[in-house]
Amino acid sequence: MAKKIGVYVCECGTNIADNVDIDRVIEAVSPLHDVELVEKYRLLCSEDGKEFLKQSIQEHELTHLVVAACSPKQHELTFMNICAAAGLNPYLFQMVNIREQCAWVTADKKEATEKAITQIKAAIARVRYHVPLEKKEMDVCPDVLVVGGGIAGIKASQLLASPDRKVYLVEKTSSLGGKVKGFKKLFTDMESGSVLIEQELNSLQGNKNVEVLTDSEVEQILGFLGNFEAKIMRKTESEERNLSVGAVVLATGFDLLDPTGLYQYGYGKLDDVYTSLEFEEMNISGGATGGKVLLKNGKPPESVAIIHCVGREEKGYCSRVCCLYSFKFARMLKSQFPDVKVSHFYSDMCIPGKSYQKFYEETKELGVEFVRAGKTEVAQNGKGIVVKYEAEAGKEGEHAADMVILVPAMEPSSDTNKFAQMLGIPLDDEGFLVREHQLLAPVGSSIGGVFVVGCAQGPQNISESIVQSEAAAGKILSSLVPGRKLELEVKTSEISETFCSGCKICISICPYSAITFDEARGIALVNEALCHGCGACAAACPSGAASMKGFTSTQIYQEVVELVR
Amino acid sequence: MKNNGHSTQVLVIGAGIAGIEASLLLANSGAKVYLIERNSYFGGNVIKFEEVFPNMECATCMIAPKQQELLQNEGIELLTLSQVEAVQGSAGDFTVKVKKKARYVDLENCIGCNACFEPCPVEVDNEFEQGFSKRKAIYIPCAGALPNVPAIDTENCLRFKGEDCQACQEACIFEAIDYTQQDEELELKVGAILAATGFKPFDPSKTKQYGYKKFSNVYSDIEIERICASNGPTQGQIVLRDGETPKSVAIIHCVGREEKGYCSSVCCMSSIKLAHFLKKKLPEVKITQFYSDLCIPGRTYQKFYEEVQESGVDFIRARVNEVAEQGKELAIKYKTEDGKENTLNVDMLILAPALEPEANSDKLAEMLGIPQGDGGFFTEKKPDLDSSVTTLKDGIFVAGCTQGPKDIPDTVAQAEAAVGRILSMPR
Repeated sequence: MAKKIGVYVCECGTNIADNVDIDRVIEAVSPLHDVELVEKYRLLCSEDGKEFLKQSIQEHELTHLVVAACSPKQHELTFMNICAAAGLNPYLFQMVNIREQCAWVTADKKEATEKAITQIKAAIARVRYHVPLEKKEMDVCPDVLVVGGGIAGIKASQLLASPDRKVYLVEKTSSLGGKVKGFKKLFTDMESGSVLIEQELNSLQGNKNVEVLTDSEVEQILGFLGNFEAKIMRKTESEERNLSVGAVVLATGFDLLDPTGLYQYGYGKLDDVYTSLEFEEMNISGGATGGKVLLKNGKPPESVAIIHCVGREEKGYCSRVCCLYSFKFARMLKSQFPDVKVSHFYSDMCIPGKSYQKFYEETKELGVEFVRAGKTEVAQNGKGIVVKYEAEAGKEGEHAADMVILVPAMEPSSDTNKFAQMLGIPLDDEGFLVREHQLLAPVGSSIGGVFVVGCAQGPQNISESIVQSEAAAGKILSSLVPGRKLELEVKTSEISETFCSGCKICISICPYSAITFDEARGIALVNEALCHGCGACAAACPSGAASMKGFTSTQIYQEVVELVR
Repeated sequence: MKNNGHSTQVLVIGAGIAGIEASLLLANSGAKVYLIERNSYFGGNVIKFEEVFPNMECATCMIAPKQQELLQNEGIELLTLSQVEAVQGSAGDFTVKVKKKARYVDLENCIGCNACFEPCPVEVDNEFEQGFSKRKAIYIPCAGALPNVPAIDTENCLRFKGEDCQACQEACIFEAIDYTQQDEELELKVGAILAATGFKPFDPSKTKQYGYKKFSNVYSDIEIERICASNGPTQGQIVLRDGETPKSVAIIHCVGREEKGYCSSVCCMSSIKLAHFLKKKLPEVKITQFYSDLCIPGRTYQKFYEEVQESGVDFIRARVNEVAEQGKELAIKYKTEDGKENTLNVDMLILAPALEPEANSDKLAEMLGIPQGDGGFFTEKKPDLDSSVTTLKDGIFVAGCTQGPKDIPDTVAQAEAAVGRILSMPR
């Protein structure tokens, strides 16, 4: 079929007309091959302008459209909608920005006019090779798999479950509640962690839209936003469950850095040197000491040293919550033993937020000591434990204690690696799953539909973990609406079966894990539901098999040839 | 949350990064969103920044696509120059009175060509540019502000002062300027409300010893942000008020922390960011940071700090007791933790002030019936034990710096969390 390209030049009032000779433009592009007509209009985005454009497309039975006007950011969508209204596929259209890129920036009218002509010629050369593209929609499953039954996972499940959305909450241990369950007190209210968890579980238990799978491990997750298939191993029953879900929330929590390798702290060698989690355990009634804080010799401690930032240097980040929870320890000790001496050894006090300084000051008022210390060591002398530290101006300090609580850095839980590999989500330098966008998508991952919340996302307190769970819920509730289809990216990659040599370079380079390998046919396949259209595969493909819809090599080549001619 | 048989309707107050994110998610779920913004433009504090930490991304480039998406989203009604006047009702059924000031420029007809600026005879300080540049009485605050449609500032416009000026109208070939526009009173029916009005910086002139507003080369960090901005008053040229390039710069952290009684979470990082930026623009500049405790609580923030430190920026743990002017220089007297006193002379001093809730938040809190706690931030339902986006009033949520000082990712997470709460409200 013969091509009939329509070119419309907008005067933008006087904004373009004043500095681009539009009649000269019309004269220059009219004779080009396949150009059916070239028209100017005072303001194409006005109501009458849009109507004119629509009727003109229909009247001349145009097959392709070029609009030379303002920035596509402003009106590309406007003109695509006009195409659709006129019965022309909106992808058979190319916009040229002769306002911001010519009229407004090129002072000399003649030069601005020549530049506009070149850009319009390039658009005509490219649009000739445009093919109709169709928006695709996909059925989605609204159900959600939540991995990790700590406070973050519990809260995400509560918010997501509804009569038309089922939630599967998978926990690898035998009970829900995560680490919070084992905290006798929580800052700043000093309420009990187990009470908090109990309250949250009560509101979960009545909900028949949540299925809790304890003693269960996720073995496989395949798929993409709206359509994941997960394989769950139920350990006690030796049974495998296959779940279909539309989204996955990873709330796999944290582990503490093991201070055994940091010899300076004497952990594992000296009696009465504990990690923060061991101290928490000592405080709960079910623990070895029946909830009492006692030294190995059975006596109550008289002088406790709390050492902050253990392993911070090794990990390379601040764990955000340690200062605060170590104040909590001081308070717990002071309430059990009013005469106990508690000393904090810290380098920088990190207590970000509107109410935490008050908590710090109140702790200080209890008689708790805060010592600014550089490098710190824990050793033993004849009398007991001694904390040696670097004080201000290079001085050495020494402090006698009978109990030491180390506050180690928080790391992503050991499961993080497993899920990174299972889902193809890269890890950052600190070992956490990378975010979809560091600032704008803090709970998203590089895989659409997979969210990372709570301490799996980075060290944070309970409230912050809950906010992240709810944030993931917000994203899911917004995009996976029961009964609604999901619109897919139109300009995705496609790989030609004929030309693909099966080298797999594209698979290794795709940041969204959107390309898989078909072993039987020896070719790479693009999953359109996962492809974001970034073009990395098309650039890397050595045989020219991968190409981008809307940005094919031919389209780009023709455009560039005109621009540099 | 159905409203008289209509679909879900939500009011979002404040069109900064939190309000934008929440509105987009809500509208994409099918809800109708009224997003109200008191300024004539939207984007909040983020659009004042040239780059944001820790990846030094261009802030306006980062947020502009979201703003465009918002302007094109049919489910969102952005009401600029608008403020809440009264709130009645309860979760699922609120009635909100909104006062929408006239812009006097038609949003549909105006194409943003700026032809009306030049003929306007009025020139006043541009508040957005912290007074470093002038604007007209019909204006947009900076290049790239959205919506790209100016507004008439009736306090300074000659016509609204009774004079017979119609210079802007005569210059507009699109008939977009309409002096007859009237302020409107709107009554909105919504099921839920999200307060996201953001922060303002603590006024550093309240802390006398730093000489802010007294010495011309003492700046607040937001002033420096505008001087760094490529769309700002100096097009990103780092210069002192007299046009000279600074050879040495000091940054003082925690300005107003003692007065406010809390750590504002972001000032260490934003000060480190400014040092990074200044070093990039002026490789020879000497930068010294005075701080008491470094608070860099993000998983990638320490790496950023170390990079800046390695680039030659000095970090001194000290208390600054006095700043004095010595010729063109500023003499900074400080005391380190070991009690030693010292003086450092610099060309430029930047103060990093605490964050406070936005100016109108007391009035808003009262209208919404939400108590305010420490520093005037909105109090959450169960501090530390539950989500920080819920308030004591069902159906009313809070996100961003209205709840407490925080950085961009934490603000966005709260906005998304509020959406999670709103969309899971019983219907």
